[in-house]
Amino acid sequence: MRSAVIIVTFLIATTMVSAVLFTKEGLEREAEISVKTAPDLTVQYLKAGRVELIPLEYAKTIAGVEGVKAVIPRIWGYAGISTYTFTVIGLDTSSIQYTSFGSIESGRFLTPDDAGKGNIVIGKLIAGLLNVKVGDDIILLSESVEANKFHVVGLFSDASSIYTADMIVMSIQDARQFFRMPDGYVTDFAVYVEDYEQPANVAAKMSFLPNARILDQDLLLRGYKAAYGARGGIFVTLWTILLVGAALVAFSQAVVVGHESKFEVGLLKTFGFTTLDIIEVRLVESLVLGFFATSLGMILGYVYAAYFNAPGLVDILLGWAFLPREFRLPVFISWTSVFSIYAVTVIPLIITTVVPAWLNAITDPELAMRRAAA
Amino acid sequence: MIELRGITKIYNKGKFNEVVAVQDISMKIEDGSIVVLTGPSGCGKTTLLSIIGLILTPTSGEIFYDGESVLGYSDYWKTSFRRENFGFVFQHINLLPQYTALENVLLPLYAKDSDPADFMERAVELLSKLGVMERANHLVEQLSGGEQQRVAFVRALIKDPQYLFADEPTVFVDEDTSRIIYRLLQDLRDKGKTIIVSTHDPELIKIADQIHRMDRGRLLQKK
Repeated sequence: MRSAVIIVTFLIATTMVSAVLFTKEGLEREAEISVKTAPDLTVQYLKAGRVELIPLEYAKTIAGVEGVKAVIPRIWGYAGISTYTFTVIGLDTSSIQYTSFGSIESGRFLTPDDAGKGNIVIGKLIAGLLNVKVGDDIILLSESVEANKFHVVGLFSDASSIYTADMIVMSIQDARQFFRMPDGYVTDFAVYVEDYEQPANVAAKMSFLPNARILDQDLLLRGYKAAYGARGGIFVTLWTILLVGAALVAFSQAVVVGHESKFEVGLLKTFGFTTLDIIEVRLVESLVLGFFATSLGMILGYVYAAYFNAPGLVDILLGWAFLPREFRLPVFISWTSVFSIYAVTVIPLIITTVVPAWLNAITDPELAMRRAAA
Repeated sequence: MIELRGITKIYNKGKFNEVVAVQDISMKIEDGSIVVLTGPSGCGKTTLLSIIGLILTPTSGEIFYDGESVLGYSDYWKTSFRRENFGFVFQHINLLPQYTALENVLLPLYAKDSDPADFMERAVELLSKLGVMERANHLVEQLSGGEQQRVAFVRALIKDPQYLFADEPTVFVDEDTSRIIYRLLQDLRDKGKTIIVSTHDPELIKIADQIHRMDRGRLLQKK
């Protein structure tokens, strides 16, 4: 019974924590991959402290900063299809050689010839949801509820899936028309720096530009991680469940000091078991139970997240990304997380085993003789 | 030979609930004999049995095993001595319910220096001798009270101890089992083993070589 309580407690706690931890690591890993494909710097335009459209001529000011290799205007926003919301990015195809979005699984990426032709490259999630492939057309509704037809020329691969999964990349001319963006303005500038220069140095020089807000890759990564951190509440809750589990284990171990168990120990001592023998027995028992329950919990946690897409968790973990439920959670298992989970489960179990075992083991063996009176 | 000199055991000494369980008891127990401790309930039989079996330390007095005073030795030494030389049978049988009869029998062997596999043949022999071999793989709760006590005897004898301590071994068992136990104890005595029993059972008292009557912690007489 005691063993069953420990196994069940550990299983539940470890399954939940493993699912969150593996998913959190997967998301962070995806974020790191995504940030690597981002421009060295992104420049936004601030007015009265708020981000606004940036005038195209501002590119010349940015290009004048020492160390800047290229300034590429971008227009981006969101578009809805059915109940889903996707990210639309419009790129200056004449500077396409500077941009990077990860690998293409089928078809091709945009070229300078695609400017204003309605050609798009889409993420695999969109392709799956809309059941489209390279060569197909899709209709996107603009904010003014006008239908816009686009032609799919490429499909992003699974690499960096969270970044490209819900992405539609088109030429900046098509994006301007789709978003009804006024001429002479863009959403922001993607800035690439010379190889000999550090982006942070260039960003420092740019910080003196009027109305500029500079985002580097580190800031983007921190932003991504902060987004996961905002979901940290559930993580903390689950961590607490684990600790409660450990406390329950401690309790169940303490119960071992109870009447029946003391009698059992007294009996073993009459047979010639030493105090160390009894501690050893309890320790081995707890180690086997702890490793078994924790390992099984981690497997269940992985299956829950990777194969069942963590029902109940997925919305909380992915809500920031506007990704639909159909998005498969990026699950990643690192040695660090495996070690951490073992550490927070097995080590408390060992500690909560040794003390009660010792208390038990110093039980007077006479207890076995006087069971009725004990 | 076992010799007790002036053994006294006081529980909660110096407190309001002080109890003198055993008072100034001296006796000699010859090897190869059946020694019975008898007397009314609460007279100190179990306490004395526990003291002789080195699972309870007296408040004062000395115990000699083959002339060697043993009470001054460490708990570890006493534990090892018990493991090598003693077998215990308890009034309440004390089999562990989560294990089968055979597992209970082999339990004492999991203490140091023993390989249970080496004792399997002896376990089978003893279980057969006491008529419970066919119950070997049954859980304790599936055995009758008499069968449980017979299994408890096998457990006590599995390591062929020189000394057997039995606390009221026939009090909760039927007549058939009692007869089996009397015969077993006599066989053990014939093999030179020393058996110390606390009991009210007149039939068991009949086969004893020494009978020590106790009352209120004192030894009244010896036969």
